[in-house]
Amino acid sequence: MKAKLNKAREKSASPAERSHSGTHSANGAGTKFKSGEPIRFNSHGIPDYRLEVPDFHTVEEWVDGEFRYKVEGDLSVEPPPLRDSKYLNKEQTIDIYRYMLLNRKMEQTLENLFKQQKVVGGVYLGLGQEGCSCASAYGLREGDWIGPMIRNQGALLVRGFKPRDVMMQYMAKSGAPTGGRDAGSHFGDKHKHHIAAPISMLGDLIPVLAGVALGARMQGKNIACLTWVGDGGQSTGPTYEGFNFAAVQKLGVILIVENNLWAYSTPVDRQVACRDLADRAIGYGVPGFIVDGTDPNQVYDVTYEAAQRAYAGEGATLIEAKMMRMRGHAMHDAAAYVPKDYFEYWKKRDPIVRMEKYLLEKRWLSEKENTALIAAVQKQIDEDRDFADASPYPEGSTAGERVFCDNAVEIGFGYGKPKFKKSDKQRAAKSTGAVHLS
Amino acid sequence: MHTYLEAIREGIWEEMERDPAVFCIGEDIGVYGGAFKVTEGFIHHFGSDRVIDTPIAEAAIVSAAFGASLTGMRPVAEFQFMDFISCAHNQIVNMVAKSNYRWNAPAPLVLRGPSGGGVSGGPFHSQNPETTYAHTPGLKVICPATAHDAKGLIKSAIRDNNPCLFFEHKFLYRRIKEELPAGDYTVEIGKARTHREGRDVSVITYAAMVYVAQEAAEILAKEGIELEIVDLRTIAPLDREEIANTAKKTNRVIILHEDHKTGGIAGEIAAIINELAFDDLDAPIVRIAALDTPVPFSPPLEKFFLPKVEDVVREARRLRSY
Repeated sequence: MKAKLNKAREKSASPAERSHSGTHSANGAGTKFKSGEPIRFNSHGIPDYRLEVPDFHTVEEWVDGEFRYKVEGDLSVEPPPLRDSKYLNKEQTIDIYRYMLLNRKMEQTLENLFKQQKVVGGVYLGLGQEGCSCASAYGLREGDWIGPMIRNQGALLVRGFKPRDVMMQYMAKSGAPTGGRDAGSHFGDKHKHHIAAPISMLGDLIPVLAGVALGARMQGKNIACLTWVGDGGQSTGPTYEGFNFAAVQKLGVILIVENNLWAYSTPVDRQVACRDLADRAIGYGVPGFIVDGTDPNQVYDVTYEAAQRAYAGEGATLIEAKMMRMRGHAMHDAAAYVPKDYFEYWKKRDPIVRMEKYLLEKRWLSEKENTALIAAVQKQIDEDRDFADASPYPEGSTAGERVFCDNAVEIGFGYGKPKFKKSDKQRAAKSTGAVHLS
Repeated sequence: MHTYLEAIREGIWEEMERDPAVFCIGEDIGVYGGAFKVTEGFIHHFGSDRVIDTPIAEAAIVSAAFGASLTGMRPVAEFQFMDFISCAHNQIVNMVAKSNYRWNAPAPLVLRGPSGGGVSGGPFHSQNPETTYAHTPGLKVICPATAHDAKGLIKSAIRDNNPCLFFEHKFLYRRIKEELPAGDYTVEIGKARTHREGRDVSVITYAAMVYVAQEAAEILAKEGIELEIVDLRTIAPLDREEIANTAKKTNRVIILHEDHKTGGIAGEIAAIINELAFDDLDAPIVRIAALDTPVPFSPPLEKFFLPKVEDVVREARRLRSY
C-alpha cells in the first residue's frame, strides 16, 4: 500500500503549476547550471533564486507490517555551482566561509563533548544549515537585531558571540551567557550583540522581533530584525500573529523559513499543503522569496536586500530557504525515519563543500590558504573548548537571584529618546463615553 | 471626583506626558478609546504612533510589547478583557516572566485590562485569572480596589522595571468615585492597606470583594462585631508582614476572593498565616470564594456563584463565637 502525503495538493494543482513542474525535469541529470542564470518565478509569482528546482515528495509505504517514508522523484542530479552574489566581495565571501567552518567545527566539538558526557542535556546541530544561518546574519549591519532558533548557532557567532559562549551554555557553566540558567542556544544579549534569546516554544520570537523594530522606530531608527523559523515551527499561531503584525505595521522583520524538510520526525508534507512556504508572503501582503538554503550567496543577497527595505521603512520580508536537516532533531535521534536517498542527495549539497569549491574555483582561495584557514578555525575551537571545559559550574545557592530587575537600574534607550509628533491642541484625560457590561 | 476608571486613565496619561518611553498598544484602543474607554481621547493627543491599534492577536500584543521593552520602551498593553490573557499565556509565562532571570533582559511592561464578574459578562468576560500569574515567578500582579490605589499603582507599574499585570475590576470602573490627591503620586507595589480597623475578625481580601467585606462589616458592627478589612492591593508579591500582623491582632481570619476557591490565592495566604502566626489563631482559617465552576451568565446563577455579603456575615459570626 502506498499513498502520497500530498495527494490533495497534486489534484488541485493548476495547469500553470503542472506545466511549471514540467520544467523541473529539464533540470535533470546532465543539465549545465550557470551561476548568472536569471531568477525564475514559481506559479504564484514568487521569485525563486535557486539554480535547480528539485521535484520530489515524501510518500508513505506500508511494507511487511512496517510503516515508513520513502522518496518519490529523481534524486540523482548533481548540484549546481553557487550563484554569484550581487554584493559580496572576495573578503566577505571568505569571511562567511570562515564563520560556516567555525559553526560546523564548534558543533562537531559539541558532539564530542556530548559523547564525553560533558554536555548537560541534548545537543542540537545545524549540520547542512550553516550556510543559511551564517550568510543571513552576515547580511545585517550593526544595530540590527536577530532572534535565532536552535539551528542558528552560526548566526550567534556572526553577531559576535564566541564558540566558548555556546560551549559553556551546553556545559551549563557559570561563565555561559546565561550563567547556567538556560541551555544551549537559549541566550541573547540586549546591549552589544542585539540578540533576543529564544524560548523553546516555536515562532514566539517573530512578534518579539516585530516589537523590537517598533521600539527602534519610535526612537527614530528603522532597523532590520532577522529571525528564523522551521517548516515545523511556522505552523504555530504566534508565527502568524507576529508576522502579520509586522506586515501591518510595516516593521522591518525578515523572517527566514528554514524549510529543512523535517520537523523532528514529521515530513514537511505533513506540515503544510503548499509546495512553497514563501507563497504565504502573498497572504501577509509582503514580498516573498525562495532561495537554496545551501547556497550562502543566494541567502546573503535576499537577506541583504530585505534589510535595505527594512532601513527604508518598507516593511517585512518572508524568505523560504530550502535545505535539509542532516542529523536527527537532537543528538539522541538517529533520524532513522528519513529515507537514505534524501541524505545522499543533500550530502552533495553540503554548503561548506559547495562554498569551498566555489572559492577554490574562483581562485579567491588557494589550496594552501584554505588549509591554513581550516587549521586556524580548528585552533580557535580547541582553545575555546579547553576554556569552556575548565570553567566552573555556578554556585547552586545563586539559583534564587535575579528573578526581578532592581528598580534602581536605569534602563536606557537602545536608539535614543523617542520623538513623537504631538497634537497642537492641549488636552486632558477625560471622557464620557458609553460602554457595555458596566 | 474621579471614578476608578478615570483614575486609571489619568495615571496612564500622566505617565505618557512624563516619560516618552511610555506608549499604549492593544485592540480598539485608538479612535474607539478601548472597549471600556480607558484610553478614550489618547489618540487625539498622542497620535497613532503612540496609541497603537493592533490586529486581534493577544500573543502578538504581549510579544511586541516585550520586544519594544527590549529597546527601553515602557509599553502599556491592554487586554480588552482579562479573560483573553489565556491567548497570550505562553508569551507571558515563558517569554516575558523569565527574561530577566534567563538572559538579564528586564521587561518593563504593563499588561492591563478589565477582570471580574457581577455584570453578567458570562464565562469569557468575567474571569479572575490573576492567581495563575501570581504563581509564575518574575511577574508582579496588581488588583486595586480604590480609585486612589488604581491611579497610584498604575503609575508604579509603568515605572517598575519588571512585567506588571494590572487587573482592573470592571464592576468598580464607574461605581467607585473618590476625591484624589492633586498632582503626581504613586502607591508602592506589594504593600497591603488596612481598609477598616477592627478587633474581632480579619477579612483579608482585594479588588471588588473589599466592598462586600465592607457591607458585611457595617451589618456586623451593629451586633458589636468589629471586622478588620485588609486590602491586599497586590497579590504578587504578597504583603506577608501585613497578613501576619492582622492575624496576630484579631486571631480570627477570613480570606475572601472572587476567584475560584480551589487553587485561589486564599490557600497561599492561609499557608502564610500558618507559617507566621499559627500560635496566634483562636479559630480555623476560613476561605470564602467563588464556586469551582465557570462564571455563569444568567444573573441568578452568577449571584449564586459569587461570594456574598451574607457569607461573610455568617462566617464572621461563627468565628466570633468559635
